[in-house]
Amino acid sequence: MNTVWSLAKVVVLEMVRRKDFYVLFILTVLLTLTAASVNLFNDRSIVRYLKEICLLLIWLSALVIAITCTARQIPAEREHRTLFPLLAKPVTRGQFVLGKFLGCWLAVGLALASFYLFFGLVSATREQHWPVLNYLQAAWLHWLMLGIVIAFTLLGSIIFATPSSNGTICFACAAGILLLGRHLNKVALSLAEPLQSLLYTAYFILPHLEIFDVRELIIHDAGLIRWDMFALATLYAAAYTAFFLFAAWLAFRRRPLN
Amino acid sequence: MEATVSIENLRVEYSSRDLGESTKVAVNGLTLRVGQGEVFGFLGPNGAGKTSTMNVLLGFVPPTSGTARIFGVDVREPIARQRIGYLPEQTYYYKFLTAEELLRFYAGIFGIPRPETEARIDAVLKLVELDHARKRQIKTYSKGMQQRVGLAQALINNPDLLILDEPTSGLDPIGRMQVREIIQRLKGEGKTVFFSSHELGEVETVCDRVAILHQGELKTEGRVSDLLKEHSANLEQIFLKLIGYPPLP
Amino acid sequence: MNPVLPLALALAAALSAGGRLLLWQQSRGQDTSSLFTLVLGESRRAFADQMFLKADAYYHMGNYPSVFDLAQSDGKTHMAKERAGHDPHDHPQPPPPHRDWLEAFGSHFHPTGHRHLEAFRDGREILPWLRLAAELDPHRVDSYTVAAYWLREHLNRVTDAEAFLREGLRANPDSYEILFELGRLYAENNRDVSRARAVLELAINKWIRQEAAKPAPDTYSYRLILGQLATLEEQAGNLDRALAHFTRLKHFSPQPDAVQKRIVEVQEKMSGKK
Repeated sequence: MNTVWSLAKVVVLEMVRRKDFYVLFILTVLLTLTAASVNLFNDRSIVRYLKEICLLLIWLSALVIAITCTARQIPAEREHRTLFPLLAKPVTRGQFVLGKFLGCWLAVGLALASFYLFFGLVSATREQHWPVLNYLQAAWLHWLMLGIVIAFTLLGSIIFATPSSNGTICFACAAGILLLGRHLNKVALSLAEPLQSLLYTAYFILPHLEIFDVRELIIHDAGLIRWDMFALATLYAAAYTAFFLFAAWLAFRRRPLN
Repeated sequence: MEATVSIENLRVEYSSRDLGESTKVAVNGLTLRVGQGEVFGFLGPNGAGKTSTMNVLLGFVPPTSGTARIFGVDVREPIARQRIGYLPEQTYYYKFLTAEELLRFYAGIFGIPRPETEARIDAVLKLVELDHARKRQIKTYSKGMQQRVGLAQALINNPDLLILDEPTSGLDPIGRMQVREIIQRLKGEGKTVFFSSHELGEVETVCDRVAILHQGELKTEGRVSDLLKEHSANLEQIFLKLIGYPPLP
Repeated sequence: MNPVLPLALALAAALSAGGRLLLWQQSRGQDTSSLFTLVLGESRRAFADQMFLKADAYYHMGNYPSVFDLAQSDGKTHMAKERAGHDPHDHPQPPPPHRDWLEAFGSHFHPTGHRHLEAFRDGREILPWLRLAAELDPHRVDSYTVAAYWLREHLNRVTDAEAFLREGLRANPDSYEILFELGRLYAENNRDVSRARAVLELAINKWIRQEAAKPAPDTYSYRLILGQLATLEEQAGNLDRALAHFTRLKHFSPQPDAVQKRIVEVQEKMSGKK
């Protein structure tokens, strides 16, 4: 575990020293504050639109950070040849993959913590209450979703030729699932066989990232998510993450290093 | 006594992109032993199979057939690399890290306890004369400094076997002298050094034994002094003769 | 070669082209005063529609049918209805049970159940989207009327409602819907009978000019305006005028018996007065 943790720390350090997070964070802050400054019928207590805008920016930024940070990890190690002195040490390929995943996930987690703290401050300036538990649930589910995204991006970075193609494909897949995943079964039922069965199978196989998107619950001040469902969602995310990481390890094992 | 490095009938094949060839044989039936405390020179022209052999020893590439062991452990086991240090030919390290951070990272991989890590970092940075630049990011280093960082990371775990791939490549004469001194010092401490180099004059000075590879096959192996006596020539002439290069007029 | 010169030339060319394009657009009579128009062009109308739907989604506290679900049977959004809450009879069938376990599981992570904002006194939350819809498409009349309704009816911000309606009227001078809403504001909130009458009669005239000759005129709006005018006159004591309006209303009403009842009431009041 020392090895995995050491690898993860280097990834976190890299993200902290790159500009990506800071640029996106500042952009989120600026756009949110601009939206907050708009005069809406002289009513300063209107808050939900602001929460929606802020959360949308957070979701976009976190997805960009997660995918771009992960997509370049293994290709950069190959290209800069830092992979060789690393694997010349007692590091297995599985530990390497796991370390990269953990690093990216922790780095994204730090970014998310900053984003959600900002979001909490913004909503607290207008609302009279601060539903901390709700925000924690939302942030945790968001982080879990990004774990799945990071895992399949890591797999993509081993399979696809370049980080840019991997990033584009992963972004398109993530966005597609977030927007359409919930509705695939409805579309499937409107089709004739065999397309119906095919689409329904895809519906069950795909990781339903939209389950973790609880922005509507936060925006409209819905109650807490049931803790048993929350735990199940955590297990669901863990299962898909483990699956993609296992696939990444299998693919990486077979790849020649040079 | 068990050899530090033991290679038996090693064969390494790669799939070939050339027409009419399905595989390319990089190493063909190599058998080699390196004893403890030896400085062993691994020589050959480009494409001889030196890098492929080193890649097998380091676990980058699995052997097609044959075996390779380090300290009696099969090279395919990660634990075989616990007591080795490796300096690649092209020294690229994480540019966003400082030398200190890089060494701490690698020490973490070896599982070296924290107090010992700090002591080791101080020692190796002093040895490679990078103490003054330890807190600067590697992206600000010159080529020579990057090479020295490479040497430092190869020594961080106090390895019993050092595998060096062209250790003096890109260094100025002072740098090369420093590397030679380090190798001699390590030998004095009973470490084994296995390195490849094109600087035959250097190899002749530093090495106890050498092996010469050509087109994947071992052409000769033995003590430097014995080879010089046997062929009545310097190492460069012996090398050229064994690889079939036409003699100078 | 010094790169400054080509860069300066390129910048000058770009500025000239931009200015020329702007002049060309203005000559075609397009409204270039709005940033949205400049950036989005005609697609802003589609965005305005989406913003209006967003407001309806907010009205329903996030639980809203997607494009894949069934649309509302009357094609209208709930919040455009006049009354607080809406007639439960015109609500579509309740959603079917979950199609599979995954859908059932996912339902715990987004809003479900039919609820309205007004029940939680948060009607203000739909206003930003209506404002944005009006900015994107100033000719979308219901952005103004729905926002004004919420401002004056639920949030007691009558001045803001009037200002917004006037803004809508500037962009849509012939809109009888906006005039009707303004008339309601003067009648119900400001209690300014003469002003309300003037605005409502103007609304009637506009409606007649725009709709009367159509094969399928918008009689719903006409009934609303007439009904409001009739009620206004009745409350102001002008019973003969109220009677005239109720009589006209009866011809267009889907429930003439109910209107007849009102006519009888007014007649009784008139005879009682005499």
